[in-house]
Amino acid sequence: MKRKATRHALLYVGVALTCAILVFPIYWLVVTALSEPSQLRQLPPSFWPDKPRWGVFGQIMAERPILLWLGNSALAAIGAVTISMVVSVLAGYSLSRFRVRGGQSLGLFILTAKMLPATLLVIPLFGIFRNLELIGSLWSIILAHATLIIPFTTWMLKGYFDTIPRELEQAAMVDGCSPLGALVRVILPVSAPGLAATALYGFVLSWSDYAYARTFLTNAQGNWTANLGITTMKGEYISNWSDISAASILVALPILAIYLFLERYLVGGLTAGAEK
Amino acid sequence: MPRSAFLDLARPSRRHWLGYLLLAPAVLLIALIIVYPLFVSVDLSFQNVNIARLDQPRRPFTTANYERLFASEEFWNACWVTFKLVTIVSFFCFLLGLGTALLVNNRFKGQALARLLVALPWAIPEVIAVVIFAWLFDSSFGLMNWLFIRLGLVDQTINWFSSPDAAFAVVTTVMVWKGYPFVSIMMLAGLQSIPEDFYNAAKVDGARAWQRLLYITIPSLMPVIGVTLVLVMLWVFRDFSIIYVLTGGGPLKATQSLSIMTYEQAFGFFKMGYASAIGVITLIVCVIASRLMIARAPDNI
Repeated sequence: MKRKATRHALLYVGVALTCAILVFPIYWLVVTALSEPSQLRQLPPSFWPDKPRWGVFGQIMAERPILLWLGNSALAAIGAVTISMVVSVLAGYSLSRFRVRGGQSLGLFILTAKMLPATLLVIPLFGIFRNLELIGSLWSIILAHATLIIPFTTWMLKGYFDTIPRELEQAAMVDGCSPLGALVRVILPVSAPGLAATALYGFVLSWSDYAYARTFLTNAQGNWTANLGITTMKGEYISNWSDISAASILVALPILAIYLFLERYLVGGLTAGAEK
Repeated sequence: MPRSAFLDLARPSRRHWLGYLLLAPAVLLIALIIVYPLFVSVDLSFQNVNIARLDQPRRPFTTANYERLFASEEFWNACWVTFKLVTIVSFFCFLLGLGTALLVNNRFKGQALARLLVALPWAIPEVIAVVIFAWLFDSSFGLMNWLFIRLGLVDQTINWFSSPDAAFAVVTTVMVWKGYPFVSIMMLAGLQSIPEDFYNAAKVDGARAWQRLLYITIPSLMPVIGVTLVLVMLWVFRDFSIIYVLTGGGPLKATQSLSIMTYEQAFGFFKMGYASAIGVITLIVCVIASRLMIARAPDNI
């Protein structure tokens, strides 16, 4: 019995140590944000500020257009997710329920599209958007983010619809629902958790983008997204690490919140389409 | 109910106009924003264009971009950097991801919290991860320099971003930290699908812990490991944000991967045709890799 207790204690120490090391960079981000800039230039460093300046978040929002950046990121993400969800709900349902000529090759193509490098697509998209005079407008990244999101959401939703028994629509149609009515009134309500998880996953993809925002929006300061804004702060001659850290926390918070909510569904999202 | 009589969903072999109609918006959108740009990209790679202007007449067909590319030292350097990155980052992502997965797969109090914490870096946007590590590795007041000196590993501060090897090491560190949670999440899912009976049977036969790991856990995980490995390698291969924001590909092109080189040529020097040629090469690699993955993917994860 004693051996088992030792093993158990070792396990706890191991887990605690691993978590501490791996999460430390995030902890350090928080410490940096809460420290006075002058304090950061002291050695040895202090691992918790004497007087945490909790006001830093309000202050940074007043000094920098963080709220504008966050708002732009949110607008872009909502736009891209809305477009993607509409087309992927329909496509995912079709791929799950119908055998359509070319459906399988479409599925395979979408799967491959998930693996496309952004640095490849960004060049032709830049040319196309310039013709359409979309460079500098949020529409450019809404459309570009849709290229990232649609492949994911279509496969996630197809997988989700596959788990819903066909008898549900069957019953609805016997009761006089049209096939589309069955989708809207029966299948979508039952799939609400899956739809929410999928949409949030798309939101994370859009929110995390840097390449497209950097290319299409650099010259349109008013439309900068959060990630783009943060990198310009980092690029300034004298980096004020506490301000950058505080701003970074504000940018990361929505994604952290989504992660806590999504954790259960994460595996489904990450592997969507990985299975045949 | 004449219409519903036509649509018998219990027989999926049935082709139905509604199936096509539902696919139409996705097909249209994908054709416009993915397929068409891909064609433009391939087309550009065979032209001598500096700025992608689609309203101008097409330049004559030429393979000059590819000839220049294969003769360029910069391209082979980028291939080598990409190869090193993919190998090293994937290796450490697996070591750390599998390790943490095995650790938190044990039963203990607070397991749910531990699982949440070990995968937390997944939820940090890449740009923010770069901010965190750029400060940790700051040349004057960064914590890492202080730690390295305290531990006696070095006797003076390292200027992480001006030495090629040090910069490469920092890029690798950020990528591993950002990438291992994915492996961890995938491995945990895989571990949970291994039937408990396997272990019980092995225990009855007197198998030790390391034997159970070697003969049950690893072989059972093999299909998941395969898919995860391809996905991680593709992620490193394609990644742009981490390297671009952290080092911009420098110093002395020590961290210039193929993605960074593509972007620099396209938007730094406006050689869109040349950049597209590099892009097409990366596309071919990605397609081959994703086909490999689809071919060996397990039926359920």
